[in-house]
Amino acid sequence: MVQEDKNKEKESNLEALLQECRKQKDEYLAGWQRARADFLNYKKEEIERMGEILKCAGEEFILKILPILDNLDLAEKKLPEDLKKDDNVKGLLLIKTQISDFLKAQGVEEIKTVGEKFDPNLHEAVEQVEVKNKESGVIIEEAQKGYKINGRLLRPAGVKVVN
Amino acid sequence: MSKILGIDLGTSISKMASIINGEPKCIESREGLILTPSIIALSKAGERLVGVLAERQAITNPKNTIHSVKRFIGRRYSDPEVQRELKLLSYETRERQDGEVEVKMGDKWYTPIEISAMILQKLKLDAEEKLGEKITDAVITCPANFDDSQRKATKAAGEIAGFNVLRIINEPTAAALSYGFTKKSNQQIVVYDFGGGTFDISVLNTTPETVEVMATGGEPHLGGRDFDQRIINWLIEQFKKGEGIDLSKDPLALQRIREAAEKAKIELSSALETEINLPFISADSAGPKHLLYKLSRADFENLSRDLIELSIKRTEKTLGEIKMNKADIEEIVLVGGTTLIPAVRAAVKNFFGKELNKSINPEEVVAIGAAIEAEILRAKTEGRAPEGDVKSVLLLDVLPLSLGIETLGGVSTQMIAKNTTIPTAKTQIFSTAAENQPSVEINILQGERPMASDNRSIGRFILDGIPPAPRGIPQVEVIFDVDANGILTVTAKDKATGKTQFIRIEGSIGLSKEEIEKMKREAELHAEEDKRKRELVEAKNLADNLVYVTEKTLRDEGDKISAETKKEVEDKVNELKKVKDGDNIEDIKQKTAELSQTVQKIGAEMYKTNQEKKPDQDQGPKAEEGEYKEK
Repeated sequence: MVQEDKNKEKESNLEALLQECRKQKDEYLAGWQRARADFLNYKKEEIERMGEILKCAGEEFILKILPILDNLDLAEKKLPEDLKKDDNVKGLLLIKTQISDFLKAQGVEEIKTVGEKFDPNLHEAVEQVEVKNKESGVIIEEAQKGYKINGRLLRPAGVKVVN
Repeated sequence: MSKILGIDLGTSISKMASIINGEPKCIESREGLILTPSIIALSKAGERLVGVLAERQAITNPKNTIHSVKRFIGRRYSDPEVQRELKLLSYETRERQDGEVEVKMGDKWYTPIEISAMILQKLKLDAEEKLGEKITDAVITCPANFDDSQRKATKAAGEIAGFNVLRIINEPTAAALSYGFTKKSNQQIVVYDFGGGTFDISVLNTTPETVEVMATGGEPHLGGRDFDQRIINWLIEQFKKGEGIDLSKDPLALQRIREAAEKAKIELSSALETEINLPFISADSAGPKHLLYKLSRADFENLSRDLIELSIKRTEKTLGEIKMNKADIEEIVLVGGTTLIPAVRAAVKNFFGKELNKSINPEEVVAIGAAIEAEILRAKTEGRAPEGDVKSVLLLDVLPLSLGIETLGGVSTQMIAKNTTIPTAKTQIFSTAAENQPSVEINILQGERPMASDNRSIGRFILDGIPPAPRGIPQVEVIFDVDANGILTVTAKDKATGKTQFIRIEGSIGLSKEEIEKMKREAELHAEEDKRKRELVEAKNLADNLVYVTEKTLRDEGDKISAETKKEVEDKVNELKKVKDGDNIEDIKQKTAELSQTVQKIGAEMYKTNQEKKPDQDQGPKAEEGEYKEK
């Protein structure tokens, strides 16, 4: 009788231990599966992220080239008439065209400004000017060119707007 | 479960963050920016603009562009401080019936709460678009010195924006939370927050349940913009001195200078000198004028020294108010973009005489902390550990130093690189270095040096019983396996016989921190010399191998080659043999190249003879990946 009780007790202890082990097994398996899934998902996201980073790095780089082009634009704009006909100057300005063509090939396009209606999605106002006989909110002058890349805004154009 | 946003609703800039894949991360706005200006405008076309779009049109529309409302949210119009602030605004304000402030945008009057709600709503919509799910819960931060009414107003703004605001937490507390400082109790923390337009200093004391703000101080109008202004003024002054032209009257020139000044400030955080180059900035009767100045970090520090000193003075005063000694401060947390300036960091470090906490981007640290707080709150209601904490339980270690084995010529061939997360395993096939080599010795190495003798040998064993075979033919598979406890098991198996040997190395991987650092330092110190040594051994191995293969070919196939070619090849072999045991890497490389070119003649002649006899026959054994050094 005593022996039987002891056996029963042992059995129930073993049963509890087994339950505990099963529970742990399920928990560990789930954790393991989750870790595997996390890893596979991470890999997928990483590939996407890489693509995104490459794209962004390209854009960052182009953004840093733009100020150089800005200054060339400015140099061209301020060029006295008599110098414009000089072949050496013409040659130098062709280098500017070369940069512009390179950017175009990367999907960069200029944003239209003068005569357009001011749009904060594309333009950044740098000054507001009083002009008679001009409609308010229209761009009268471009201070700095703006650019889009593959249809998205790269840098807004700096513009003067009619009050 | 939907995500929760942590929002840093700033005076001039707002940011948001959430826990993404178990890590707190800032979320970009739909314009692709982490930093969203806290600006609202009603455009001339009658459209409501928020953030960067509102900022871009601000100049054309100052009366209807609302900024800095955080300065009067939840405050009374009659408050003298509010009165001072109101004088600085470009838009209209008035006192509401209940005594609070109202601002005018278009024809309508709005409370600062409503304006703040518009900013929060944009953040909400942008986050939903980026994360692709609906978001309702948020934790919003506010300055530590906000009173009850200001906190209630901030919460109300969140609710109007459609959020279920779980909590309003202090900005410095959020920053401390980002660094995990709130886990330890009774710690004194200083949060030094130097932003774009404001400077705040807070002293926190952590208790087991909460974070107590012991003191706050600051300057409501001191920030990064003042540093920019110093550079702008300097440039204008220099130009006036040099060219006699006042650029401050020319809005377009000023715009270019402003941009260049900010860029210069940022560049001087990493470079010691920067060039400010603005061609065609102006013109007079003599022609165009260009602006070109060099600004050194030291010059910039001289220009802005008093701004930094003011912040330090404020810090000192705030500590003095609670009679606290700066030596009692255990942690210092940096917040705000201005703390990226090296001189600011140096001044703070110098004042406290302690290392600063700056590893988390100071512009994002508050939003990140809010996201962490959100996760903690969510986890509590769900009865689980917060995501960040789960990691600490399942913290996986990394190998502190690389593991490898010694191969031909005393080279250390890496099996598992340092910083690899464990558990991990790696298998590679090696071969023998001598004819009929009966056994290989596996010498297990730890360290970063390319030569075996410079690394630490942590165990070795011999795998024998390899059947006689030419060198390079037997395949010995070596498996390195490191379990989660850092115990390394190295197994070697002869693929032909299946004979296996292994060794288990416990504890030995775990060196003390000092030892690891010492080994890493030595690796760096000897990097150049080690590279040369290894190149020499590799060149020698290559030469050795070529001599061996050539001699074997001459022995086995000598009868198929013309005597003339044979003589030429033998001469080249002898030449290489003469130099290959010396230390002149150039000689070895050159003679190896010569021999390998001459050897091709053998191939060509053999190919010719072979073609005459049997057209398709497989050529020789494939090259092996690695070889053991001969024992």
